Amino acid sequence: MNSYPPELLVQLAPVMFVAGLDVPPPPESTPSAAPGEPPSTRPLQDPFTLLTIRLRDALLSQRTAAIWQPDKSKTFQTVLVDKDVRFPPRKIPLSTDPHSLVHSPLSPLTPTSPLHPDGLIAPIWVRKHTTLVPSVFVVFIRLYESPPHHMPRSPLDQPHPDREAEERRRDAEMSAEIALRKKSTSERGIKLTVVLIASRKMLDDPALDTRLTFIRRQSGLDYRAALFVLSPVSPGELNEFIKSLQQALYEPAVDYYTSHSKRVRRKRNRHAQAASAYVLPVSPLGVASPTRPLRPEGWTVRYEYKMACFAEFRGEFEVALKHYQDAYSSLLMMFGSTAILPPRTKRWAEAKVLADCINLKICKLYLYNNEHALALSQHTIHSRRFSDFSRGWGIGDETFEFWSWIARQHRVFAELLEHGTSSTLILPAHKAAIPVPAAAPSGLAELDALRVLGLNPANALQHPGFYYYMAAQATERRRAQFFAMLESVEANGANLPGFANEKKVDHSGIALELYTKAYELFKKHSPLSNGNGQGRLTLRIAGRIAGTYYAAGKFDMAVRFFERIAKTYRRERWGTMLRPLLATCVTILVEMLAHGIDEDEDDDGILQEDLLAVLKSTVPSSHEEPLIVDLSDSEPIFATSIIFWTSTAFVGDRVAFQLSLTAPHDVAISALPFASLAIYFSHKEEPVVVHHDADAVVSGKVQRVDFGDLNPGIGAQAKGCLRWGKGGTIVFVGTVSSDVPMTLAIKRAVLALREGNWTVEIPIDPAAVRDGPVSNPKWLFNVDPIKFAPLRDGSNDHVTVHYRPHRLRVSMTHQSPAYLDEEYPIIISITNEDDRPLDVVLDVLLQPAEIDETVNDIRIDDEHSQSLIKGVAIGVIVPGTTALKSLYLTNTGGDGDRVLDISIQSRSPIVQDTSEVLLTLSVPTVAPMKVDYDVKYLHTRGPLPGLTDLHTYDRDYWDDREGGEAIIRAQMECVGPWGLSVETVRLVRKNGPHARVLECSLDEDEDDVTSDWLPGDEFAAICRISLSLEDETSEDDVFSGPGEFELSWRRILPNGDHGPLCTSRFPLPTLQPPRQSVIALLELPSSAKLHISISAHLTIRNHHPSRTASLSVQLEPDAADSFLIAGQRSARVPALLPGSEVRLAWSLIPIECGFVRVPRFRVLDKRNAGTVSPTQQPPGIEEEGIPVRVVDMRREERAKMVDEALALALEDAPSGGGGGVDDAGSIGPVLVLPSFNDNMSTI
Amino acid sequence: MAGNALTSSSSSRPFSPAVDARSINLGLAAIAFISPQNHPILVRAVSGSQEDLLKYHYLAHTSLDVIDERIAAASKAPIESYLGFLYALEDVAVYGYITPLKLKIVIILTLSDAVVRDADVISIFKALHWAYYRAAANPLLKLHTPLDTPNDHILVVGSPEWVSFRKRVDEVARAAGALPVDSAS
Repeated sequence: MNSYPPELLVQLAPVMFVAGLDVPPPPESTPSAAPGEPPSTRPLQDPFTLLTIRLRDALLSQRTAAIWQPDKSKTFQTVLVDKDVRFPPRKIPLSTDPHSLVHSPLSPLTPTSPLHPDGLIAPIWVRKHTTLVPSVFVVFIRLYESPPHHMPRSPLDQPHPDREAEERRRDAEMSAEIALRKKSTSERGIKLTVVLIASRKMLDDPALDTRLTFIRRQSGLDYRAALFVLSPVSPGELNEFIKSLQQALYEPAVDYYTSHSKRVRRKRNRHAQAASAYVLPVSPLGVASPTRPLRPEGWTVRYEYKMACFAEFRGEFEVALKHYQDAYSSLLMMFGSTAILPPRTKRWAEAKVLADCINLKICKLYLYNNEHALALSQHTIHSRRFSDFSRGWGIGDETFEFWSWIARQHRVFAELLEHGTSSTLILPAHKAAIPVPAAAPSGLAELDALRVLGLNPANALQHPGFYYYMAAQATERRRAQFFAMLESVEANGANLPGFANEKKVDHSGIALELYTKAYELFKKHSPLSNGNGQGRLTLRIAGRIAGTYYAAGKFDMAVRFFERIAKTYRRERWGTMLRPLLATCVTILVEMLAHGIDEDEDDDGILQEDLLAVLKSTVPSSHEEPLIVDLSDSEPIFATSIIFWTSTAFVGDRVAFQLSLTAPHDVAISALPFASLAIYFSHKEEPVVVHHDADAVVSGKVQRVDFGDLNPGIGAQAKGCLRWGKGGTIVFVGTVSSDVPMTLAIKRAVLALREGNWTVEIPIDPAAVRDGPVSNPKWLFNVDPIKFAPLRDGSNDHVTVHYRPHRLRVSMTHQSPAYLDEEYPIIISITNEDDRPLDVVLDVLLQPAEIDETVNDIRIDDEHSQSLIKGVAIGVIVPGTTALKSLYLTNTGGDGDRVLDISIQSRSPIVQDTSEVLLTLSVPTVAPMKVDYDVKYLHTRGPLPGLTDLHTYDRDYWDDREGGEAIIRAQMECVGPWGLSVETVRLVRKNGPHARVLECSLDEDEDDVTSDWLPGDEFAAICRISLSLEDETSEDDVFSGPGEFELSWRRILPNGDHGPLCTSRFPLPTLQPPRQSVIALLELPSSAKLHISISAHLTIRNHHPSRTASLSVQLEPDAADSFLIAGQRSARVPALLPGSEVRLAWSLIPIECGFVRVPRFRVLDKRNAGTVSPTQQPPGIEEEGIPVRVVDMRREERAKMVDEALALALEDAPSGGGGGVDDAGSIGPVLVLPSFNDNMSTI
Repeated sequence: MAGNALTSSSSSRPFSPAVDARSINLGLAAIAFISPQNHPILVRAVSGSQEDLLKYHYLAHTSLDVIDERIAAASKAPIESYLGFLYALEDVAVYGYITPLKLKIVIILTLSDAVVRDADVISIFKALHWAYYRAAANPLLKLHTPLDTPNDHILVVGSPEWVSFRKRVDEVARAAGALPVDSAS
């Protein structure tokens, strides 16, 4: 903005002249210093001096001249003046003719004016209104105060006569002075305000009012806001005073400027009417005359501009904007005609500056109003219009003037935005307005709304950095045009206008300054940064800065920038942008070789020529140190591929490898004098070096350089051609081996280039990949014809070398399957078939079994474990020998497979040469024997002890009254595949509280059972168990068996030997005796003799714990019965108490031989009738009672407890159907035999 | 020809909104595809001279800044694919678009003093997205490359598929009125 007159840009504000605030010359002569004050008072502490200084500071700080000041607070631009300041003359008469019209000295019509005869507006006009002519005039005057001894002692005292006269005289003098001032201000409509400064004491003086009235009247001041009295006050109060002073004076100031506006408008209107009839008074021939007056368009510009300025003074920004726009459009009209404004004249240049400034004012006023798009649009239109004009003026875009002007426009606009953003301006955010998706537009209105969605990108205001950037770019263009012109000037020797000046301009400096500003603003406005604090936009600008440095010849700076920028571009692979960066950077020309590439065929080989030229023409800084061009971050020159024949190898084996370097196909590097290639392997320090063989001839695209076998640890040399044609490949082949296990790989290769004094080393990273299609490396099988093929096991970029594996043969001997409870031997046999003695260590892991309730155990020697036995040393096995180790596995629980993991680690005498053999052994395990049980329950025989038998209450009384007995038959079967040699079988008694073993069949021949059991053999044992039930029945009356069968056995091995002694245990089954509440037991002999009476006893027991049974017994003879019955046929049993029994007896005499059916006994329990649910029983039963089961004691055999209802149902069935013999619950027949020694006499 | 075919047949395709050549003349200058890793895939100057290609590269690259900024600003809300006007520099305006897989598409319009309808820009973006999708869907693209290559390199510059992708992009540009119809053949 410095390139424009500040008067035309600054924000205008009402101007206030302030007089009388001169700091009085120091001290002793100060008339205002009160004589009574102590002499020690320093002059600055004189309250009036202090007040003056404060007033000055406060008034001046009200408003500082600035470009961006959108606030409309009622403040003034204060100008300190002398009391007797003279205003510039308003109008001066034309000297030649005193009768003609008078004009302002600045008017184009005044011959002495700088604008005469056709100027528009000069900055001096604005300066006149900002510094020479105020809108209000404030005079500070010290009110005369009488010396204290003239002051009355009290209000009642008579005023001192001298005093009054003196005051009156002084006041009259002052009034005259003010009146004089008032006269000059009134002429111009300027408000005059007088501020009288008086001491605080004076304010209380009753005489003050009369004095003030006198002064006002004498000096002819207005009544409103024209006279103030101020006494020394605190700064806060002072500010209040200034604020109210400005408030009071603002309106007169606005009036002042309004009247100016009105005057100008009148003049404009008058002029507009006159303009139609206006005839060019002079130069009828059209010859450009120096005295040609301003044209009507010019007057319009002048008046509009003035009105705009006055509106701006008043703070009416909208009005100002309107007038500025009118002025601007009139100005454009003037520019439109070269007749009105001939280019490259003084007036033309002034008008251009004016247009630029008006444009800026318009932009600013739009921005005040937050009309961002309009502001930017104004800026763009201005640039475009004047670009068009410029072409007409012969300063089109091929001239430096044009670009200079464009740069200035962008720069000024950017500066304006910067001014704005640093105070009140908020830049708009251009977020995407997402259109309402897919909502079908129902009406035309919505359709229109959708159409409107969007913005004009040309009018999207952005942060000032963008405009600085554009200014910088324009400056670069300016520079380019300047240099172009410089060439032509030097060629033609012509001298063009402005050229001399342009020569002095430091274009690069300006561009750098602008770029740097843009850079800072971009950085400031970018909330993000990508990692290293560098935005891409800032990088772009940095790139331009570097380019400018480069153009300015500051290579070192340029390189520093380039390096920083290139990092990001490389990382993000924007090769296209990276290339020009590098292209400008001489010292990284080599890198250029790698990136290659101009698509132009003409540039073929230009890079290598460049490089060679650089290398040949320059001398390296150091002769010893080679220049290392590290391309590790960037594109490598060569496409590198490394391939090994196999991915794994044994120690000492030779492995073939191929390293191929392929030159890019788009860059010629065949002329580059590569001298050697050093290949570094991972296993040795010394490289394998290939020296260039100058005699070698490049033949074909693919060449082969053979190293032969490369000895480990020793560097090797070879000769070969190191010249690549376009896209050519050199394949380096050889074999490598290693004595120790390791990973063999090619770490890197270094290509050395020698030219003159230069040695340039280009490290090649085999892992680096050039941009482009990536393909798997292939093996070169044949050079002529070229045959590449992929290897079968993939591409191996390294070889892993191992020791040769140990040849150990491991076998395991065992007799599968294993039996449960057996210590099962497994013999591990390890044979060393290697030629080295091997130290062997054994680990055995028993996998946790998935079978329930199994406890498995392994043992080696004395070491037991349920899971892992680790580190069993077998010792060194000499080649050709075998070591054996027994492993014992003991299984209990259920059948199933047991899994063992066996690890055999071997170590050769060389440390670290270890190997491991892993074996998994699955041992099927089966039970050696199967045991089946058969359980029957019997009622107690014999009479029950009476209820009152105290013996039954003893603690150790075995109450088997209800439980009775159980008979258990165990049947053991040898089920395994192997025979068993059983040594003992016995019942181990474990009598419990509810069950005890009475006797067992094994008791007698426990030791006699020793025998061999072959698969399928069976063995049986029977035992009798007495049961004692609890009184209270519980849901599951289950007792564990009171003992277990214990078998000691050995496995019979296939060779007849017996295995170790094992013991299996089979516990007795659980017992669950049935329970019944009332039971009838019938005792009958099995056989009888004809005609000889037998007795039948029916024992009825009430096992119910609490309920008395009410029973009736019926003997139901049948016609078919073969018995005569003696005894009661039908009887009612007396109430049977719980736990008691009753025994009934009958005599039966058989009268027929054979199996004779017994008469039917029926026992009914009346008491229990109600307990049975009525739904299950027919209704008749309720009266009769529930039949009680009658059990034949001869054939009693009960299974486990059954449901009571079911038992009853079973009971019922035979009674209806007449009873079958095979029915378990019914009474069996009696065998009646004839009695031979019986004669019929007994009848 | 091709442009017409595109507009008429595309209505059945879900991802290829019709680009109406009659109503749009946005002054499409360049199209850039940028991979999720911010690597350039294709920068194509569709109108104007090819000398400006480098400038378009720079514009595309610098627009990544604004795209990042927009994404970061919208991180709370679901990111819209269409990022809208990114910035204007010199005589062009840059618009951005990001696909759900973070492929960025940038188009560069020549500045003209006219309102650019977002709907038009979006339809161009969708057509370009579809073109990329079609080109990248070729399963044979990775035939000769190791399987673990990042997908970036699917459309490597210079591969035959890249050429066909470029043709597709040109087709969209033509439909958007940037290229003359005749240059199709």
